[in-house]
Amino acid sequence: MSTAVQPLTTIGHVTPRVDAIARVTGQAKYTNDLKLPGMLYARVLRSPHPHARIRHIDTSAAWRLPGVQAVITHENAQVVWGAGAVAGGRQYSDAIKASTRQRRYIFNNPVRCVGDAVAAVAATDRHIAEQALALIQVDYEVLPFVLDPEAALAADAPRIWPEGNLCLDVHNNAAPVVSEHGDIAAGFAAADQIFTRRYDTGFVHNAQLEPRCALAHWQGNMLTLYTPTQGIANCRHDMARDLGLEDQQVRVVCHYMGGGFGNKNQNQDADLIAAMLARHTNAPVMLEYSRRDDWLGMHGRWPTVQEYTVGVKNDGTVTAIQLIGYSGMGPYRKNAGGISGIELYACPNRYRSLAPVYTNRTTSGNFRAPSEPHGVYGIQSIMDDIAATLGMDPVAFTVKNMLRPTAEHQFTNYSLDACMQMGVEAFDWQARRKATPGADPGPLKRGAGFSFMMFRAALGMSSAVVQVDAQQHYTVFVGVTDVGPGAKTTMGMIAAEALGVPLSQVTVVSGDTERCPYSVGESGSRTTIMTGMAVVAAVQDLQQQMAARGMPTGNDVLVASATPTPVPDGTLRQCFGAHFVEVEVDTRLGTTRIVKYVAVHESGRIINPQTARDQIRGAVMQGIGQALHEDLLYDPASGQPLTIGYYRARHLTHLDVPTIEVHFLEVDDGYGPFGAKTVGEAGIILTPAAVANAIFNATGIRLTSLPMTRDKLLGALR
Amino acid sequence: MKALTNVNARSLADAVAAASAAAARGQAFAFSGGGTDLIQQIKDGTNQADVVINLRTVREARAVVVSPTETRIGGLITLRELAEHAALTGPWAVLREAAASVGTPQIRNVATLAGNIMQRPWCWYYRNSFNCFKAGGHQCFSVNGEHQQHAIFGGGPSFSVHPSDLAPALVALGATFEVLGPDGPRHLTAAELFVLPSQNPARENSLGATDLLTGVRLPTPAGDTVSTYLKITDRAAWTHAEVSVAVVLQVEGTRIQTASVVLGGVAPIPWRLPEVEQWLRGHALSAGATASAQGVALPVAGRAGALAIAHAQPLAKNGHKVPMTSAAVERALLRLVR
Repeated sequence: MSTAVQPLTTIGHVTPRVDAIARVTGQAKYTNDLKLPGMLYARVLRSPHPHARIRHIDTSAAWRLPGVQAVITHENAQVVWGAGAVAGGRQYSDAIKASTRQRRYIFNNPVRCVGDAVAAVAATDRHIAEQALALIQVDYEVLPFVLDPEAALAADAPRIWPEGNLCLDVHNNAAPVVSEHGDIAAGFAAADQIFTRRYDTGFVHNAQLEPRCALAHWQGNMLTLYTPTQGIANCRHDMARDLGLEDQQVRVVCHYMGGGFGNKNQNQDADLIAAMLARHTNAPVMLEYSRRDDWLGMHGRWPTVQEYTVGVKNDGTVTAIQLIGYSGMGPYRKNAGGISGIELYACPNRYRSLAPVYTNRTTSGNFRAPSEPHGVYGIQSIMDDIAATLGMDPVAFTVKNMLRPTAEHQFTNYSLDACMQMGVEAFDWQARRKATPGADPGPLKRGAGFSFMMFRAALGMSSAVVQVDAQQHYTVFVGVTDVGPGAKTTMGMIAAEALGVPLSQVTVVSGDTERCPYSVGESGSRTTIMTGMAVVAAVQDLQQQMAARGMPTGNDVLVASATPTPVPDGTLRQCFGAHFVEVEVDTRLGTTRIVKYVAVHESGRIINPQTARDQIRGAVMQGIGQALHEDLLYDPASGQPLTIGYYRARHLTHLDVPTIEVHFLEVDDGYGPFGAKTVGEAGIILTPAAVANAIFNATGIRLTSLPMTRDKLLGALR
Repeated sequence: MKALTNVNARSLADAVAAASAAAARGQAFAFSGGGTDLIQQIKDGTNQADVVINLRTVREARAVVVSPTETRIGGLITLRELAEHAALTGPWAVLREAAASVGTPQIRNVATLAGNIMQRPWCWYYRNSFNCFKAGGHQCFSVNGEHQQHAIFGGGPSFSVHPSDLAPALVALGATFEVLGPDGPRHLTAAELFVLPSQNPARENSLGATDLLTGVRLPTPAGDTVSTYLKITDRAAWTHAEVSVAVVLQVEGTRIQTASVVLGGVAPIPWRLPEVEQWLRGHALSAGATASAQGVALPVAGRAGALAIAHAQPLAKNGHKVPMTSAAVERALLRLVR
């Protein structure tokens, strides 16, 4: 049951980040700002070929360059990067890492994409390290390559792995991932009309501002790793597993990091390469990736092909949904390759077959709501077409077909109708939507689009420690890092609220596995909920101690800790959202301009209105970039990537940002810290679908390929 | 980044002498105006220079000098100074608008007029170290590859487009280009400076390696001259033109006396449209009553837009640039309706 939220003392009030001044004045020390005595600098040599076998590497000339301290390759540093490619995308399972047949190493032979790491050098300065890379002679046997996921499944396609190009599942079987609900054939039989559409979506790089870097330092058999990570505890465990250490032998430190958007989950190959170089040289090693390294050596959202077949009755009731999907994973299955969206409909008859496919493009992986924005674009594009064909308002069509609580599937609360209603009013949907798509005479045509979603945070255990000293100052120890949403501030606010003291009386210690307890990691939009719950529980323990023993005196402190374990009770806890966008399409220039954008979200109680709003705005901007701009083009003849980096991939700039109205519908469902739900990933899910539907409403033309660039738009209009 | 020799030039002559000396030693060298692009090219390996001749230490060639017959602009003036220059108002709008459209404020603060004209193409093959014509090779990879941004006029055998925003504006204003070489100064017309790939696919202009573009000379516009620069881009900052149009019209009463219409972003050199210029001559783009101004101008501008693309030769994947060019020419002209 949800209730309207009552105002609280600290939570719900606009609160600047506790480290805002340190960040904008340059006081904040990011990994790349660190310097240790005797520190060496490292660089990585990368494959210039999309697919090649290394016959031989000659590193002798590099070794002879004065200042070079180590050169490592697959021949002398063979380390499995467990989080880099675990079959089935089950990155959290040690057992699966042990059983998988398709292992990814820090240096692979054969190399399987342009940018695959081949060797690394540590030297006394950066320039020597770069010079040394140029002296490494690699004898490649160039192999045939394949870039397109569907072409990769052809019988005569070049094999990227011996088992073929369909990714293996956790049991080493090659088969599409199939999920079935109800009776799909009966669903189509019951339909009055059947619609079929095909969409494709491009590769979108996470494009976080801070390229990867890592500073590794061994003291005996203890490794200290400074690295920008979305989870110090996960990173530590991965490093220990990959290097054959116990968790306690690894310390991971990340006080500040420059974004990740899912790209810095787990440990990184940069972490392992730095650690190996530090071991070889017996010195601290700073490995720095260039922007190009970061773009090609890491990952972005998987490109997809989506073929939908949807059955519908003439009254607008959807009776069957089928999706045949292909996800281009690059040469390693770092993550799952999901295409989500059809489960947002109540339709009981659903069939989905997903083929995650190896290609010789750069690796795909998690990017903010990994499976959703492209999938929601696909399914809500075809549903928008169906509504238009049936002459129905897309909102009314959605109200008729969206997933709702049933006796079987209970929700902690449900506010999708309320979100849509709020959006319809704030946006003035009826006035902005064209009853007939493409009705404006042009050349400037306006139209409005809409999309909806529900999304749930991942679960995961977290701990928190809270202490109080004799000066009544409270210190919260949490193993979080701030990947952008402001976790340090959020944890401080939750503690202050629970303690009933001002935020100024609370210090948050975070980002260091030696000082902080386990936290689940900044992925799956769960830090606020999971670690926040631990903070609340630890505060309750501390308050009991204070009540029983009084406040500490002198140099004493009282310390409390808590590790609440989330136990799913079968009730769905979802956040909800609806986005409404008006575009103006210039049908002569092919330009799409965002005229109005209204984002409505129910994410439970909002802890910090400032950072929550900015999370939605930032996510919407990334979604607009995915919808209209970003892609990674490859030269078909050579397999070389062409559009690397912010200039080429056409990321939006500050001048491109439209006004994005964000409305939060606040409720307290009785779960989570003070009723807070998830925010971070929710905003991006809806944007590509809403923009695509608005372009259709403006022009009467359905673009079936992301990004919707002007060449596609003008081509379709012609 | 590799180690470089930096030479702080004290004067233009000093810079050219340093270039000649480096050439004599067999060293690869480059002039650096703002260095915003050059340094990245050196890092990327698409420019092999071992000697960078730094022009930021040169104090001359940074002024705008207006005389009754001509205006001279030093090649080392920054784009920010150009965009904000008090002397470049009225008929010079095209120049200010072009300068203001470049890159970002950080780039415009240091990037120079000469550097903007002399920058190498931004073709993604060339910039990704393909051994193409522009890199000294013997093929253009875009023809059978990805060429959404490539030339629809004047292409072949290379199809990269001229990236400068200032160049179309200067050509439209009738500029001549001042060059200092080892044998002294000389002046080139636009036709002499910019070179089609059919003449030399490796270079975009006729300057030798030791030649330095030191400034431009612009004839004083006739009394009633109006101008504008329209740049169509994929985003609002830090990008080059998909299509751009520089228009300079000399008007008498309501009639266009002379017209210069030059395209950017669609050809290997600033692309002049003589048939459009011819068509505009004698036509009215102005009208007494504001209410009917668009109505009078639209057919004239529309016909100009249609003529603009009469000789377009798009490749398989850049056909969208043809209607864009037509629309851009039409709209640039309509901006000048009074």
